[in-house]
Amino acid sequence: MTLLENDMGETFVLFELAGTTYAVPSADVRQLEMIEHITPVPNAPDAVEGVVFSRGQVIPALSLRRRFGFPKVDYDLRSRLVVVSVGERSLGLIVDSAREFKRIPPGSISPPPETIAETTGKYISGIFSEDDRLILILDLTELIANGDEIQTESNS
Amino acid sequence: MITTETDEQTLSATLQSLRSIGSRAAAIQRIADEVSDGAEEQVSSLDSALSSANEMAASLKETAAQAERVSNASERTVSSINETAAAIEQVTANNTNLTASISETASAIEEISASIENVSNSANEMSSSATETTAAMNEIAASIRSVKDDTESLSTSVTETAAAAEELSRSAKGLTTNADDLSVAAEETSAAINEMAASIEEVTAMSENLAGNVEEVASAIEQTSRSIETVAQNSSRINESAVAAAASSHEMDRSIRSVATMARDASDITKRLARETEEGGSKAQRSIEGTSRIRDSMQQSAAVIKEMSRRSNEIGGIVDTINTIAERTNMLSLNASIEAARAGDAGRGFAVVAEEIRNLAERSARATADISKIIQGLQESLQEAVSTSNEGVRIADESGRLAEEGMTGLEKILAGVRDAALIVDQISRAAEEQITAGQTVVRAVESTAALSKEVSAATGEQSAAAQTIVQSATGMRRTTREVVKAMNEQGRATREIIKAAQSTTTVANQVRKATAEQASSAAQMLQAVDSMRRGVISTNRALVEQSSASDQVSKEAERLTSIISTVTRAMAEQATASKQITVSVGHMRLQSLEVSRAMEEQSRAMREMTGASADVSTQVRMITRANTEQASASENILEMIRGIRQVAERNKIGVEATLTETIGLAADAGEISRILEGGKPSARRGKNGRGRNGQKAEKPKPADGNAQSGSTETGPMID
Repeated sequence: MTLLENDMGETFVLFELAGTTYAVPSADVRQLEMIEHITPVPNAPDAVEGVVFSRGQVIPALSLRRRFGFPKVDYDLRSRLVVVSVGERSLGLIVDSAREFKRIPPGSISPPPETIAETTGKYISGIFSEDDRLILILDLTELIANGDEIQTESNS
Repeated sequence: MITTETDEQTLSATLQSLRSIGSRAAAIQRIADEVSDGAEEQVSSLDSALSSANEMAASLKETAAQAERVSNASERTVSSINETAAAIEQVTANNTNLTASISETASAIEEISASIENVSNSANEMSSSATETTAAMNEIAASIRSVKDDTESLSTSVTETAAAAEELSRSAKGLTTNADDLSVAAEETSAAINEMAASIEEVTAMSENLAGNVEEVASAIEQTSRSIETVAQNSSRINESAVAAAASSHEMDRSIRSVATMARDASDITKRLARETEEGGSKAQRSIEGTSRIRDSMQQSAAVIKEMSRRSNEIGGIVDTINTIAERTNMLSLNASIEAARAGDAGRGFAVVAEEIRNLAERSARATADISKIIQGLQESLQEAVSTSNEGVRIADESGRLAEEGMTGLEKILAGVRDAALIVDQISRAAEEQITAGQTVVRAVESTAALSKEVSAATGEQSAAAQTIVQSATGMRRTTREVVKAMNEQGRATREIIKAAQSTTTVANQVRKATAEQASSAAQMLQAVDSMRRGVISTNRALVEQSSASDQVSKEAERLTSIISTVTRAMAEQATASKQITVSVGHMRLQSLEVSRAMEEQSRAMREMTGASADVSTQVRMITRANTEQASASENILEMIRGIRQVAERNKIGVEATLTETIGLAADAGEISRILEGGKPSARRGKNGRGRNGQKAEKPKPADGNAQSGSTETGPMID
């Protein structure tokens, strides 16, 4: 058992997107970055804004808003690029803000409701209820899989 | 008097009509006077005609009487002539008887002669017969004496007749003279009547003219009456308006007073306003100054705000920086936490530190967020302040401009208010003056109202008077028509008179002719009478001779008687005596033959006389007839003249009435003129339009102004 997983649960990085708080396991997160400059690439797949240069790597920047069908907003000081990597693949997720680091006991994570499991279930792996908010546990595999079209040269 | 223009015009028009009425009335007066004069002349000439007709009638009557007398005398003459004739007849008869008895005597004497022998027997017979003879002789003598008397009386009658015939002749001559005079008078009368006719024609024409004028006047009077009615109505309307004017003048007075009060108030107000405006001016001045100070301070504050804004912007920038730092710190701390989590246990302390850092960054971020909010609020406030101060500056500028304008306006207002104050002062003074004027107006209007009432009453009286005038005009019309009728009647009567005069002239001529004839017949009669007289004289002589003869006869008879009585004594002388007797008888016979001849002559003369008397009678009858005709004609003339005179009298009366009416009319017209001209109506007149002093109309001076000058004697006129 790593520090990431103990009795108190796994650590997540919480970010907000369109008023909803999502969580990604912190193990999947490589780093957080400010959105400084995204270089647009031609023929990019949908919701990919472009590429960024991060820690010597060129990674695609995916707008989760666009991916999730939310309307696009301007970037501000709180906007973050959440660089996640699953396996060999890295992806930058553009979110509204990412300011929390939380440990969530796994027992308190509920699966997504069945009615929406078909569609949202692809991205949401669970729901955590806290005081006055619901935190949606994000499943990165689908995102990563969809970001599969972009083959980065730096992937080795 | 308060009158409208139309009322004045109506009044002046009425005035004009009345002037013309007055002048027409004067003309009528003059005409009427002329007519009156003419009528009087008529009357006097009619009177003279009447008197001359009366004279004529009297003379005709005299003539008639004379003719009557002549007729009677001639009748008497005729009767006496008849008597004489009868007497002569009787005488003749007697003479015849005488002759017969002489014959008898002769025969008796012859018998005597034959019967001288029977003398003694028949001496008594002779004696008785002589006595008889003597008686017869006496009778004869008596009869002859009676004849003589008769003849004397006849002579006297004849003398009377002659005298009467002379008288007749004289009277016939006189009659002729009278007839000439009558003829002349008739001609004069005819001429006078013609003149009269001409003058009557003139008068008729004048009367018709007059009638026309009267019609004009009457219609003018009616028009006047109507216009007086209109004036009366207008007067009452004027009265009403005067009353209304009085009321409204009171109102005006009240309103003037209220205006004066208001003017005084306004004066006070404007003075106060002037003061306040001055104050306002100084306040505006101060406000302007204040505004510029405000502006200055606004600008200063704007500058300060800008500075503040800049500073806050700087702060904002710094805060942004701090915020960025906080974010980065947060991010870094998160990254650190992630790495620490990845590191596991080794990174536990690092994770705590990262957590601390994250908290600090969070606090910082919150603080900066607060600061940012504050800064934003401040920025907003500053923005507001800037805009407000800009607004304020704008407003201050505006206010300054407005204040400037206001100043200018206030100055204008001040000037205006000062002017207004002056004007209000003037108004106030004028209002005070108006009050007094209003008082005057009120008094004037009140007096006007009273006057208009009087005028209304006067025009009411005028109206009544006009009605009277209208009636007088109607009466005048009627009178004029009657005058015209009378003139026409006069004309007709005059023509009748002329005809009558002509017939009179004719009759006079006839009379003259008749009188001439009379005269000639009178002369003839004179001659006849002369011859009668001569006859009478001769008869007388004859009678005297007769008488003497009869005396002689008587004597002879006496002698015879004596002779006869002496026959008895002297029968012896019978033969001689009878011869003597026979001779005497022969003488007697001769004498009786002479007497018979004389009787015959007498008879002839008597017949002549009878014829002459019959002629005279006839003449006298003719004269009488002519006289009667004349008398009746003169009666007719008299009647006509009387009638004419009556008419003339009526005329005169009518003319006088017309004159009186006309003068009254003129007086009325003058009255009305005076009244309309605004004078007081004069003292009340009597009825029937007598003059102002109630005296009969006097003739106007004929040389007075003509109708156009419009002056009459009965009233003042204005031009």
